Amino acid sequence: MEMKDYGNGLNPTWCKGCGHFSILRSLQTTASRMNIPREMLAVVSGIGCSGRISGYMNAYSFHSVHGRSLPVAQGIKLANPDLIVVAAGGDGDGFAIGTSHTVHAIRRNMDITYIVMNNQVYGLTKGHVSPVSHQGFKTKTTPMGSVDMPLEPGLLALASGASFYAQGFSAQQEELIELIQNAIEHPGFSLVQVFSPCVTYNKVNTYQWFREHLKSADEVRKADPSDYLGSMQLLKETEGLCTGVIYQNRTKLSYEELHQEVKEKNLATQDLRMTEAVYQQITERFKL
Amino acid sequence: MNKNFTLLIGGIQGEGVVSTGISLMKALSRRGYYTLSERKFSSRIKGGNTHVAITIAKKEEVNSVESCYDMIMAMDQDSIHLNMHQLKPKGILLYDEDIKIDEEWTDGLRSIALPLSAIAKKHGKLFMKNTSVIGCLGKVTGFTYEVLQEMVTEAYGNKGEEVLDQNIAVLKTAFNHASTTISRASFFDSEPAQAKKKMMMIGNEAIAIGAVVAGCRFMAGYPITPASDVMENLALIFPLVGGKTVQTEDEVAAIAMTIGASHAGVRSMTATSGPGMTLMGEGLGLAGMTETPIVVVDAQRAGPSTGMPTKMEQSDLSFLYHGGHGEYAAIILSPSTLQECYEMTVDAFNLADRYQCPVIIMTDLNLSLSAKTIDEISFSEPVIDRGQLASTEILESSYDGGFTRYQLTENGISARAIPGTKGGQHQVTGLEHNELGRPSDHPENRKAMMDKRMKKTDPLKEREGIILEGKASGSTLFLTFGSLYGTLKEAWMRTGKNVDLARIGRIKPLPVKQLETLMDQYEKIIVVECNYHGQLANIINQETGQPQKVKSITRYDGKGFSIEEMMEIMDRWCQEWK
Repeated sequence: MEMKDYGNGLNPTWCKGCGHFSILRSLQTTASRMNIPREMLAVVSGIGCSGRISGYMNAYSFHSVHGRSLPVAQGIKLANPDLIVVAAGGDGDGFAIGTSHTVHAIRRNMDITYIVMNNQVYGLTKGHVSPVSHQGFKTKTTPMGSVDMPLEPGLLALASGASFYAQGFSAQQEELIELIQNAIEHPGFSLVQVFSPCVTYNKVNTYQWFREHLKSADEVRKADPSDYLGSMQLLKETEGLCTGVIYQNRTKLSYEELHQEVKEKNLATQDLRMTEAVYQQITERFKL
Repeated sequence: MNKNFTLLIGGIQGEGVVSTGISLMKALSRRGYYTLSERKFSSRIKGGNTHVAITIAKKEEVNSVESCYDMIMAMDQDSIHLNMHQLKPKGILLYDEDIKIDEEWTDGLRSIALPLSAIAKKHGKLFMKNTSVIGCLGKVTGFTYEVLQEMVTEAYGNKGEEVLDQNIAVLKTAFNHASTTISRASFFDSEPAQAKKKMMMIGNEAIAIGAVVAGCRFMAGYPITPASDVMENLALIFPLVGGKTVQTEDEVAAIAMTIGASHAGVRSMTATSGPGMTLMGEGLGLAGMTETPIVVVDAQRAGPSTGMPTKMEQSDLSFLYHGGHGEYAAIILSPSTLQECYEMTVDAFNLADRYQCPVIIMTDLNLSLSAKTIDEISFSEPVIDRGQLASTEILESSYDGGFTRYQLTENGISARAIPGTKGGQHQVTGLEHNELGRPSDHPENRKAMMDKRMKKTDPLKEREGIILEGKASGSTLFLTFGSLYGTLKEAWMRTGKNVDLARIGRIKPLPVKQLETLMDQYEKIIVVECNYHGQLANIINQETGQPQKVKSITRYDGKGFSIEEMMEIMDRWCQEWK
């Protein structure tokens, strides 16, 4: 399949120059390179500009509600482990309304990929502060500048026990494609946080700003991505402003590996007919 | 001769009060008795008193636990002074001799002090007091020592030799002591006829069994009283059939995961109570909008907010019926008995798939948690109707990405394509969408899609949903739901069935046609429910527009109605309409 075969011909509603275009193209290109059958790809998204991404894929796509892409995605994966499940959403989805789901999805370590399309602002509501906006960031709800400390997604992910954490940049598409492919191939929960500039409501964290501030993780790091403390240190030293695979733990068992029954039995396709023998077995405890 | 015998066992939480009650109920049921228990946990009382009342009968299933006791077995002081006034005049109080007794309490009553703690301490440990209780109650209820020893072995056999030996020593001493001090209660002089095979379970367990039989293979939930047993039981049963439970981070995730799993093709459910139901409002709307079949159990308790987590109420109904923000089709089933908990759960999954909408099974604390002996629910192969699924021909004939998941059809139902099915790729969204599932807010499309979704369940309005008992006398019909049905039924039988009795099993869509017939037939319909507003009565009035026909009787003190109170109400209404 070509990259275009993973699109549905709709024109995204995003502003011209929005970083999200590149993420959509990267996801489609990755699917094409990995030759994922379209019917085996499930893309689940949240709400906001980012949430629209699922609606531009030729796949089984599910545009859920704000912050809930991960629970929906996990339900899909649990029902049918043969599907390749990708969740996507914005920084509000992942680090405000859905933070708890992010942390617990990381903790469960199911074999799904989560792409956070981070533009550090609420764009679809027309410009409101986000949990990862820098202090001093002025928006309609923070006219004097944001006072709250921004969350640090990388530290949060690693502290929660992430087995795969990467960061990409919309303007570095080739790297992003590789990161998404690595993430999908990782046998557990993989989080790819993408710096994806909002050209309309974020005049601070622009493409130019990121070009000036982002470093390559591989160039800066002193240790291998499997080194937990080294990865933490990398995030601290760069103030989170680096791209590449930040951390990968290949030894941590995934949910599917820990729950063999999930792998062995596809819940979605199994025969539901019940025999009397099984009925007697399940009601045995209640008989007198 | 009394028709039944009611025993109350009380003590401090953690003393094994409930498990003692359950053990005794099981053993009695094996002898052919029918039992029904009601747990009363009282969080106000210092020391955490808990008690369980058990009504025991010989001939048929017990409808309701009696409010007057033939016997009280008190392991602590609170159990005595909280319940003494409910002891029948000829009833007996058995109590641990370590409890300080105010003579005023027991004046004129038959009371016997038993060395429950002393025996436990002497032959084992103090916490084995509940085994002393089993020894004494076993004697009173006519068990042979051998049967009791089997019971204790069953309970402690896996706790190590020392623990088992000590418990058996405690049991033996208590049984022998009781043999010299208490006589067998006369109710147990003759044994019941052992005609039918029996089971014992609680409502939540009946729901779990029903779900598995219906082909449910996925459950996501968050623990909450009184719904947790649904997940606990499925966690035990699923490994036998290949299913999965997940304890999520909250109820929001639980329902979202349920939706995801169902979307991907597996029959899925979640279970919660009021506070969790509030959080699930979001998911109900998403399931409604995306037409994803899900089954949600709401085991109601007293609200709002944390309310009274261990008390009975039926006050979620309005919220469930009106269903949060926006409008969507949904189905609400309301079982009143354990058998209905089972049958309606099987039904719920078929309805969810057929109408592609959320189906709520609404229970209440007493129905969810009360253990009951029932005649065995025998196996019959269930009908599994997965509803409309897109055929390969349709999928192959639609152009790439052109599968119309939300096709406008006459009955509003359109075929689903399950992820993994070739050619069925489509978009699902909580936004208003067109036939392809793509976002669209065009007025014409919006109206067509709203009409499509809302009309799906219309045929159910025509279908009956109320079960009637009585002579169709034409004067007064008492209508109720949930665990109240048992109390009403008992009162109804005792007052001579001068009124008619009904329980409603499907509240949404309300069986409007059947209700209108009933309103023509009866002078008054008296709706009995446990909430402040008379929520069911209000819904009936709203849908049928004959408020002069409907009278509402409510209670919202967390206690529910007693059989006696219900008898009085029925008698009063009989007089009024003579």
